[in-house]
Amino acid sequence: MIKNVLTHIGGIGLYGIVSICLFFAVFVGVLIWALTLKKGYLNSMRQLPLEDDSRLDAADTTPSRDE
Amino acid sequence: MNVETFRYDNKIVRAFAIATVVWAVVGMSAGILAATQLFWPEANLALQYITFGRVRPLHTNAVIFAFVGNGMFTGIYYSLQRLCKARMFSDFLSWFNFWGWNAIIVAAAITLPLGFTTSKEYAELEWPIDIAIAVVWVAFTINLLGTILKRRERHMYVAIWFYIATAVTVAVLHIFNSLSMPAGFLKSYPVYAGVQDALVQWWYGHNAVAFFLTTPYLGLMYYFLPKAANRPVFSYRLSIIHFWALIFVYIWAGPHHLLYTALPDWAQSLGMVFSVMLVAPSWGGMLNGLLTLRGAWDKVRQDPMLKFMVVAVTAYGMATLEGPTLAIKSVNSLSHYTDWTIAHVHTGALGWNGFLTFSVLYWLFPRLYNTKLWSTKLANYHFWIGLLGMMFYVVPMYTSGVTQGLMWKQFTDDGFMQYPNFLETVLQILPMYQLRAVGGLLYLAGVVLMAVNLYQTARSGKLVEEEEAKAAPLSAQPVHEEKKYRPHRFLEAKPVLFTALTILAILIGGLVEIVPLYLIKSNVPTIASVKPYTPLELLGRDIYIREGCVGCHSQMVRPFRSETERYGDYSKVGEFIYDHPFLWGSKRTGPDLHRVGRKYPDAWHYNHMEDPRSTSPGSVMPPYPWLLTQTLDTNVLPARIKALRKVGVPYPDGYENGDAQKDLASQQRDVVVGLSLGEVNAKPDREIIALIAYLQRLGTDIKNQSQTIAAQ
Ligand code: HEC
Repeated sequence: MIKNVLTHIGGIGLYGIVSICLFFAVFVGVLIWALTLKKGYLNSMRQLPLEDDSRLDAADTTPSRDE
Repeated sequence: MNVETFRYDNKIVRAFAIATVVWAVVGMSAGILAATQLFWPEANLALQYITFGRVRPLHTNAVIFAFVGNGMFTGIYYSLQRLCKARMFSDFLSWFNFWGWNAIIVAAAITLPLGFTTSKEYAELEWPIDIAIAVVWVAFTINLLGTILKRRERHMYVAIWFYIATAVTVAVLHIFNSLSMPAGFLKSYPVYAGVQDALVQWWYGHNAVAFFLTTPYLGLMYYFLPKAANRPVFSYRLSIIHFWALIFVYIWAGPHHLLYTALPDWAQSLGMVFSVMLVAPSWGGMLNGLLTLRGAWDKVRQDPMLKFMVVAVTAYGMATLEGPTLAIKSVNSLSHYTDWTIAHVHTGALGWNGFLTFSVLYWLFPRLYNTKLWSTKLANYHFWIGLLGMMFYVVPMYTSGVTQGLMWKQFTDDGFMQYPNFLETVLQILPMYQLRAVGGLLYLAGVVLMAVNLYQTARSGKLVEEEEAKAAPLSAQPVHEEKKYRPHRFLEAKPVLFTALTILAILIGGLVEIVPLYLIKSNVPTIASVKPYTPLELLGRDIYIREGCVGCHSQMVRPFRSETERYGDYSKVGEFIYDHPFLWGSKRTGPDLHRVGRKYPDAWHYNHMEDPRSTSPGSVMPPYPWLLTQTLDTNVLPARIKALRKVGVPYPDGYENGDAQKDLASQQRDVVVGLSLGEVNAKPDREIIALIAYLQRLGTDIKNQSQTIAAQ
């Protein structure tokens, strides 16, 4: 009985649908956004972590860069 | 161009790194102690301070907040400075963060064994410590954002976004989940009760996993993996999608911890749908990590640091596939309350967080000390022993989880329960518990090897306390490029806006969960026969909380025949409206207790608590002899009743000034009489009396209701 009362709170069905729509809207938005980014920009961003400390490369435990 | 010279602070990084290693050993040792007690209760040495119920939160807090927390700060303080081409915003805040955080952990290590706990998982610390956490966290957040604002690199790399999301979300979660009414120093009651408390708690609990154990470590992955492999991340585009999708969806999925409980169905379904959707961003992130290593697998073979990283990222993928699977209701009906959950979290903790931390530490130490790793061979041993430990941990836990889950649900052909005695299902899995402890021991042994290796590495070099670097300030950098910006470029160049958007994203998800919470408030049907706890029961309940019984016992009978047969009528929302905090639990090492009231005579409980094996041969429940000797502290009663009244429990005004004490004394006498029927002589002022009063009350209000209906 109690469960029935709770499942039939007014507007809850709509509530669920609205939140899922909201999620998809944001998701699609981010997707479009990401897809329209320029290659040059993306490449420069990717390089950021590799730019910093060059001083300590001697201490690298890995063999040197192979690209 | 005018170039500035500045220094990176490596001392703070080293401090956090050392703390990480120290707490790893402490936290994992506590885990092994807890694991051992599960097949050999005597391992608690008959000390109340280290019984399972108190060691378990000690273990989880030490591993999550001490080990992973310090690990996260280590990685963030190192990478943030370099990604921003700036020293940390404030040295004072850095050290305040370090000492503050670690003092909090020490406070936790003292208060939890003493039994000061809120009982809410991963939020067990009491209110004064909660306030300290908030202060230290704010200091960290200011330091983080301050550094970002004074950066010399215009663009914010994706790792930084993950750090920002971590900082702001943990603050929001912590504050909302900790809202409680103090009832003395180191004691409080949450403002929420029952189903609401449960919902807030798991909104928090789930997102603590998301924003404490996942997002900061994803940030570390996006920085240290490319570093170690010496190649850029596979797809920056994917990392953008990964970030926004992850932070937006994660927050919504909390209710999956409460499937088939008294939580309303629609909230459960929403939690399930969003949990399943979480697979997408998570796997996007995992593939992004693994594909970064494409063409570098020869390197992975040689470099233990990369090996750890590969296993970590793979474990992330496994855990994030399994999580959504467990959120599917039919799977959850089997897995919930069993060791399957334990297996799941340890895939994440040992694999993802553990191995990623080890990887970062192995990479950092040689650089901090400007030397080479002392022994690559030893690091390799660590890798293999750690992996083996993980296997020995996780595989037995899956086996025991599934075995026990099936046994609970097994009916004979004639429709009777195949294993009506709960203990039988426990005894069946004890060998798995033993193997699990071995797994934990192996894993810890690996950590000790690492500690030695890092120590020797440090000794062989000299700490580069301040590392000099050069870069032009932002103001001196050409801006023409900015004019043709794309939205995201604009966004990540504007950290304040970015932070605001991140908060917005998590708040929307939060609201989706919190709004129903208030709908529930006005919609929880009150059951007339459900009454507040009596003073004695209340103090008994506080002992139940203090001893951490909730670590082994649930109080939530789900609506399955296998449960109603075993325990009695399933639990209704309306029964919990005075439960501050809720004690539904998440693991059944022992049977559910919601309908235990009046199931046994008082004397049974007395004997059982003194020595569980006297009534239940072979039981792994710890004996609680001290409850029989310790005197019940009734001085705390007025403060507790007042606090509960403030959060909405309808104790009459002035009840605490005499009437409550009278009720308490009379109920104590009743229990003593009840005990004497079972030939137990007990003094009325002992703690055990209160605990028995509480246990005998559990789940009986609704029985009263059916009795009155029957009588009419
Ligand atoms: C290490 C896990 C563990 C902890 C901690 C624990 N128990 Fe138990 N408990 C068990 C197991 C296993 C059983 C089943 C065997 C038995 O009856 O002893 C059990 C059984 C019980 C039962 C009997 C339930 C029934 O329906 O037969 C009660 C009552 C109980 N425990 C109360 C407590 C209380 C109160 C505390 C805290 C002071 C506590 N337990 C702490 C594991 C635990």
